[in-house]
Amino acid sequence: MALDVEWTTTATQGRPSPGGPPLLALRKVTKRFGAVEALTDADLTVHAHEVVALVGDNGAGKSTLAKIISGVLQPDSGTVEIDGDPVSSPNPAAAHALGVSTVFQDLALCENLSVAANIFLGRELRASKRSPMDIDGMELASAQILRDLTITVPSVRTPVRELSGGQRQAVAIARTLTTRPRILVLDEPTAALSVVQTAEVLMLVERLREMGLGVVIISHNLADLRAVSDRIEVLRHGRNNGSFDAATSAPEEIIGAIAGATRAVRPAWATR
Amino acid sequence: MAGSQTALREANRATVVDSIRRYGGLTQVELASTTGLSAATVSNIVRELQAAGEVDVRATIHNGRRAMLVTMVHRTGLAAGVHVGTRHMSITLTDSAQQVLVEQALPLPHEHRADTSLDRAALLIVELLARVGAELPELLGIGIGLPAPVDAATGTVSVPGILRGWDDAPVAQVMSKRLGVPVFVDNDANLGALAESRLGASRHFQDSVYVRASHGTGAGVSLARNLHRGFAGTAGEIGHVQVDAQGHVCLCGSRGCLNTVVGAPALIEVLRASRGSLTLRDIVALANDGDPGCRQVVEDAGATIGAVVAGLAIAVNPQCVVVGGELAETGELLIGPMREAIRRRVPLNHIAPLEVVAAELGPNAEAMGAVLLALENTRTTLPTFARPDGD
Repeated sequence: MALDVEWTTTATQGRPSPGGPPLLALRKVTKRFGAVEALTDADLTVHAHEVVALVGDNGAGKSTLAKIISGVLQPDSGTVEIDGDPVSSPNPAAAHALGVSTVFQDLALCENLSVAANIFLGRELRASKRSPMDIDGMELASAQILRDLTITVPSVRTPVRELSGGQRQAVAIARTLTTRPRILVLDEPTAALSVVQTAEVLMLVERLREMGLGVVIISHNLADLRAVSDRIEVLRHGRNNGSFDAATSAPEEIIGAIAGATRAVRPAWATR
Repeated sequence: MAGSQTALREANRATVVDSIRRYGGLTQVELASTTGLSAATVSNIVRELQAAGEVDVRATIHNGRRAMLVTMVHRTGLAAGVHVGTRHMSITLTDSAQQVLVEQALPLPHEHRADTSLDRAALLIVELLARVGAELPELLGIGIGLPAPVDAATGTVSVPGILRGWDDAPVAQVMSKRLGVPVFVDNDANLGALAESRLGASRHFQDSVYVRASHGTGAGVSLARNLHRGFAGTAGEIGHVQVDAQGHVCLCGSRGCLNTVVGAPALIEVLRASRGSLTLRDIVALANDGDPGCRQVVEDAGATIGAVVAGLAIAVNPQCVVVGGELAETGELLIGPMREAIRRRVPLNHIAPLEVVAAELGPNAEAMGAVLLALENTRTTLPTFARPDGD
């Protein structure tokens, strides 16, 4: 398998017209765990070239929603649509095949392997099925991916244990891009990072948006989310509680919606 | 082939220096893997560079092992330049010879507040210092550029309402108290003017105007190579010149200011019906990709800004107008119509025609200007730099 490293050019294709179907849409998604209603009729849409932030209190359903998008969990009711077509992702591999990649909080990197080996972990390049791994090819492709993302990692041969938190996050994001996803879910990408590392990750999110991906980002830091996202979706007790344009809304409104001081203008149960 | 060996060594040397610059500081082992050179070659090159006084090598602990950290030599201290923009903050760290050591940008939220942003700026400076292997006492000064008129003497925003969330913040005082370093604050267009007139496109001219076309528009005026700030720091605030008497009311309180017509919210609103929700960066990227709607909007903005700059040019008669800011990343798309609008209105001068050119320092002009502000101010107060620990 020859990896074609021109993936950025395909990702930067012209953006769809504003009226077109969203890249990803979750409609009236409900998920129960016994008596716990993690999500009740939750809606979410993501377009290409868009960063959507999911915010809410602990237990608001952010991670459940992310896991439904990434195929880890299946909704009890409701539909997941990609490009306007209903799809089902029974497992993460199926979601992957549909162009949805996820970077979970623990990153799942192998500390002892190099940056290049981590980026191609489980998808190692080989000239043919039985031939050995094409290490040079993987290192070159990794260097290309990192360069396109303007990630500064000293070398693709560096073992991941020697990298900073921000660089690890960047490598985890770079790894998801080898399969050319169209939707990327980032779960708490700036948790436990220093300010410089946070800055690097946020600049990377902007770069992903410029490349044409739809990005769903979950975080507790409202300042970071407001800095990089286009739209902020508030979840409260598993329900949508407001959608805010990050370019115009004030933090007080968003915090009010998270805390329940304000209700969504049209709550899901009123539109039924 | 006699020269090839030397040429190779020169090239390797340049690669090593580039890598150190790019990362601020690297251990010798990291340098070897970054450059692809052998450990022995790197070791030799580093020894040569150290002998030439270009790099510093100090023992450090990296991943629990002893390692040699290589950094560029900081000539007599460092300076930090902070540009706080509408949606981004960028920080540049240089040595006193204005050699850039490390740069970092950080996205900022809409209507960011002074307390959070200054806190982040302070932490970023400290972390970047650590990255280049320097300590806080080596920092000579910090320059900060804000997208609003600034009273340079007190280091606060002088006109309320333009930069919400920063109105009463004693910016210079907060930062200098926190980091124990002299802090100088100025308007970002003024800093762009300073940087371009010292190091950039207008360095050969006595009198120049720098126009910063970004989320808002402003200008910095450099007369006889000195920045002209005006009494309250509002000189060159062309964003608040009236261009439409029936227009929208501006943040400053008056009506139909240039910013209400060519500011980012105005441009985004004009494109919303046909292009959906865009950001200023999207508009610049799409215009550069040839999107006709975005090109149209940028060209019209250029002509409108040009008409206002023409007035300023008549008032101060500069030799050169330098155009920077995010919108200027569209190049001639913005600058072409601007030049035309300026030339049409400014009386033709046979001796020295007015030049309208793009900024040479690009998006770094403001942060670099902040560095220059800090260096030029500390030089007068601190004629010779003495290390606090006495060596």
